[in-house]
Amino acid sequence: MPMFVGVVAGAAVAAVAFLIGLFKMMWRVAEPNEALIISGSKHRTEGLEEGMGFRIVTGRGTMVLPGVQAVRKLSLDLNETELHVDCVTHQGIPLKVRGVVIFKVGDDFVSIANAGRRFLDQQRLMSERVHNVFAGHLRSIVGGLTVEDMIRDREKLTGQTRAACGTEMEKLGLIVDSLQIHEIEDPTGYIQNLAMPHAAAVQRDARIAQAEANRLATEAEQQSFARMAEATRDSEILQAGYQAERDHAAAKARQAGPLADAGARQEVVVQETRVAELEAQRREQQLQVDVRKPADAQAYEKRTLAEADRDARISAAEARARETELAAAAEATRVKQAASAEAEATRTRGEAGASATRATGEAEAAAAQAKGLANAEATRARGLAEAEAIKARAAALAENQEAVVAQQLAENWPEIVRAGASAFGSVDNMVVLNGADGVSELLAKALTMGGTGLGLARKLLASMDQNEPVPNGTSPLNGVVPPAVEKIPVRED
Amino acid sequence: MGDASMVGLMGRVTGTVGPGLVGEVIVRVRGGAEHFLAYPAQGAERIESGTVVMVVEYLPPRTVYVSPAYDS
Repeated sequence: MPMFVGVVAGAAVAAVAFLIGLFKMMWRVAEPNEALIISGSKHRTEGLEEGMGFRIVTGRGTMVLPGVQAVRKLSLDLNETELHVDCVTHQGIPLKVRGVVIFKVGDDFVSIANAGRRFLDQQRLMSERVHNVFAGHLRSIVGGLTVEDMIRDREKLTGQTRAACGTEMEKLGLIVDSLQIHEIEDPTGYIQNLAMPHAAAVQRDARIAQAEANRLATEAEQQSFARMAEATRDSEILQAGYQAERDHAAAKARQAGPLADAGARQEVVVQETRVAELEAQRREQQLQVDVRKPADAQAYEKRTLAEADRDARISAAEARARETELAAAAEATRVKQAASAEAEATRTRGEAGASATRATGEAEAAAAQAKGLANAEATRARGLAEAEAIKARAAALAENQEAVVAQQLAENWPEIVRAGASAFGSVDNMVVLNGADGVSELLAKALTMGGTGLGLARKLLASMDQNEPVPNGTSPLNGVVPPAVEKIPVRED
Repeated sequence: MGDASMVGLMGRVTGTVGPGLVGEVIVRVRGGAEHFLAYPAQGAERIESGTVVMVVEYLPPRTVYVSPAYDS
């Protein structure tokens, strides 16, 4: 029994499992990104007009009879195709364009039907087909554009793309979501050159901006440094001020003790000084009492005594002087009287003398006058006689010089002998060895010298005759010549 | 989902519509938004991007004719 139940239950489970499996085989669900294309049944065609012969299911499940109907899936996913195309632009510049086309199957049934009919078995080749289509179209698109348009004007590029490919792709049941140009290879360097001025300008602007920014930054930095320095300075000044105050206070505190000490000492000193002063005053007063007053008294005494003494002496002197004066006056009177008497006597005597003398003088004068006259006469007579003599002598001299000289010598002989004897004059005590003969010999020699002098004078005169002017210079003669020299002015007369 | 449902829908121009141009409009349809190739419905009209348009005619599969929804 339980066996039977188990079999029945197992059969039921198997039946259920079979039914579920059968349903799973017949029920197909279209996923959101795919369309089911079911063919093989004439019935239950929905959403499609006649003549299509298959039905399209999107977004839901549907019953499919296995073996009767065929179910195919068409992906509605996005596809993309890489494009590598050599093109020539509107300006004739050759470019290599690399881009991508993003496309998908259209969502409406018409597009799905078109695409299903074309690509159902070639979904993997769809990209290739589209590439082929687009390679040609891209050439025409780029050919209608300039390089600048391609770079800058996307609107124009998409517009051209739509114009060139839109209807084309419509036929294939595809829609183009986007056509992107990834890269434009530019063998001639056109784009680079195109960009160069702009790049240079941008670079210039960038450098300017950089420099400006640097300048501003440096300015700000320097300002900041300056402010920092300023703040540091202020702070240091404040710190120094506070330090100074602290030092001041500390010093004051340190000095307080000694200062108080000194104050106290000063008080003591002041008091001591006061005491000393008082003592000095006391001592001074004591001294005044002890020394000065007695001394003053003594001095006064002495002075008074001296003054008295002096006065006494003065009085005495005055008295004496008066006495002398009176005596002198008396003497003077007496002398005066004596003198006048004497004068009277003398005058009388003088007058008598004078008359006597006058008489004598007159007599003497007369005598002298007579004597003078006589003398004068005598002198005149003598002068005439001398003049006559000189004249005669001059004549004689002119005639016989030698005679004159001899006469002169003879006249002056005593003088000459005196001069020769003068040599002996200085002899104090002469001893003559030859006795009287010796003395006479000596004298003879001395006199011979006079004779020799005579000879010399004669010779001299002779030479004077020969060469007229003989200077009256020195001659070897001693004491004889000066009279001869005196003669020369006489002869010239 | 009949085709007639497209006509009368409002859309926005994403590519300029005009004579000599193939424009593009995006229209809310089938729970999403799809874009269609667009042509002006009337003559030499030029409709700039961003303009709100109404679908006047729908030519399957992906072509619509539009006219501005508001008078300028």
